Amino acid sequence: MNGLMLVAQREIRTRIRTKSFLISLAVSAVLVAALAFLPKVLGGGDTYDVGVVGNAPAPVAQLAYSRLPDEAAARQAVIDGDVDAALIDGGKVLANGELDQRLGLILEAAHRDAQIKAAGVTITPLQVESVGADAEYQSVRTGLATLLVMVLFFLLIYSAMYVAMGVVEEKGSRIVEILLTSVRPWQLLGGKIAGLGVLGLINLAVIIVVGLAVSFATGFTADLPPGMAGILVSAIVWFVLGYAFFSALAAAFGSLVSRQEELNSVLTPMTTLMMLTYVTAYFAALEPTGTLARVLSLVPPFSSMVMPVRTAAADVPLGEILIAGVLMVVAVAAVLLGAARVYRRAVLRTGARVKLGEVVR
Amino acid sequence: MLELDGLRKRYGDKTALDGVGFTVRPGEMFGFVGANGAGKTTTMRIVMGVLDADSGEVRVDGHPVTYDDRRGFGYMPEERGLYQKMKVAEQVEYFGRLHGLAPSAARAATAALLERLGLVERRDDAVEALSLGNQQRVQLAVALVHEPAVLILDEPFSGLDPLAVDALAEVLKDRAAAGVPVIFSSHQLDVVERLCDSVGIISAGRMVAHGPVAELREREGRGVLRVVVRDAAPGWADGLPGELTREGDRDVLLCEEGDDQVILRTAVGAGKVEHFGRRQPTLAEIFREAVA
Repeated sequence: MNGLMLVAQREIRTRIRTKSFLISLAVSAVLVAALAFLPKVLGGGDTYDVGVVGNAPAPVAQLAYSRLPDEAAARQAVIDGDVDAALIDGGKVLANGELDQRLGLILEAAHRDAQIKAAGVTITPLQVESVGADAEYQSVRTGLATLLVMVLFFLLIYSAMYVAMGVVEEKGSRIVEILLTSVRPWQLLGGKIAGLGVLGLINLAVIIVVGLAVSFATGFTADLPPGMAGILVSAIVWFVLGYAFFSALAAAFGSLVSRQEELNSVLTPMTTLMMLTYVTAYFAALEPTGTLARVLSLVPPFSSMVMPVRTAAADVPLGEILIAGVLMVVAVAAVLLGAARVYRRAVLRTGARVKLGEVVR
Repeated sequence: MLELDGLRKRYGDKTALDGVGFTVRPGEMFGFVGANGAGKTTTMRIVMGVLDADSGEVRVDGHPVTYDDRRGFGYMPEERGLYQKMKVAEQVEYFGRLHGLAPSAARAATAALLERLGLVERRDDAVEALSLGNQQRVQLAVALVHEPAVLILDEPFSGLDPLAVDALAEVLKDRAAAGVPVIFSSHQLDVVERLCDSVGIISAGRMVAHGPVAELREREGRGVLRVVVRDAAPGWADGLPGELTREGDRDVLLCEEGDDQVILRTAVGAGKVEHFGRRQPTLAEIFREAVA
């Protein structure tokens, strides 16, 4: 275990200081911050700018008032597009062409409210109750799920690639020959996977923290669905499982070659599997209650991305989550054992690419 | 004490090792020589557990070598390997830790070794920034950092300048003097001859000769008498047994039989005798003869 910890430590210490790691952290932080800001920016269309001449009307949530000196100035402001409409002395509305229908309704309602209030009549507003489960959060949850698909895919493929590159580095430079006289193959393999996994988790944590921080700052958190904590925990747990699965595959395939240039071709089966997982997860985000999503969220390794996405986009029965979890853990254990076997036999056979068939028997 | 006993290894149809065996005592420096592809690297890899032998055994202090024994060995493989982007001191320390040293011990050992190998100023440089000679020193430091109980070095002198060869030789002598069995392979036979207590010659997977250097030279000389005479008249050796060759103005006579006293008197009568004695072949000569 000590050997494994030392190897993991070295991976973390070496990699965390590289420019590429810091850049990837910064890029993902900026991307997530931008995505978290997006609703605020797009949401700009929800409020209307209304120029006001004369007495100010009562404040309304969707309207932003700006004072104008007289009607002539108001006409100019409407024509120039500085305001969406102008309200003259609480009785006349100036619009550029036809008045926006929604703005018209809002202005009309505000006008009516003001007159009713002036007449001394109070009315109770309608109570709205949602009868569908969290229906009001549906679009947010779908958006969140789509975002999660991208983050998970990016992190998984990125981390797994680094595992494969590290394996080839050690094999190609022959340092593995010295390493294996002081640590066992499983310690070397496990330490590398664990160390780079910690870095992947750091990256995921940065993404989550930045995303939440920006959401708080912009007031977007109010729109987040309840159970966010569960969604995040599920994302982290499934990332760990998916990472263990794919990085073990990456290490096994990586150990077959001695040069980085050969890595892409030898990793093709793994990257294809990841792409398939990504595509199914993407469809699952759009249609989280469909049959495809429900079935594949149970089947490893698809579950590693489809299940967290499904959890984010819709409510998933606990039983299904447990089944998916157990199946994935079994798959991860099997892949780790198989990868250790391939790695142990292939990693000292430098030179030409080793055929998988020669080392699995 | 390190014993190799009847090591055999095949790769498909090709026999790499065919019963390799020899013993290296504590404090003994063993030179392992052989042509390219003779089986030196395969043998060393088997000793280090990097390869498994098909049959045969490696023993250390009388018992079959275990993984834990090997963690205490120092190894320099033929194909050098270091983390190119890792700093020198950090790297040596890391290997010390992997070999089981505590953090403080690894740090102290690294500092002492870098001092000894003249790498103190380069301690915080990435390995890739070092000259090949210095990279080789780092490689040696990696093999030595944990004060190994056995040293296995595959071609440690290749690519070194004469000064670096001397420095490395000093370090190895030091380790041997501390009671460590040292095995190294080399094509530089003069270095092997100068440094080693004993040598082993391997050819096509078999040990063709091994033993203490002096003994080997004696034995391989086969008691042949070598006489060198200068300015002798042609035909002076006609009545003598043996083979006469001419090197410049010197005649060299090699005799496997005959009365040495008669030969000496004849030679003295013929010219100036510059050499008279039993032939002591150099290691290079022994080697050529052994692998031919």
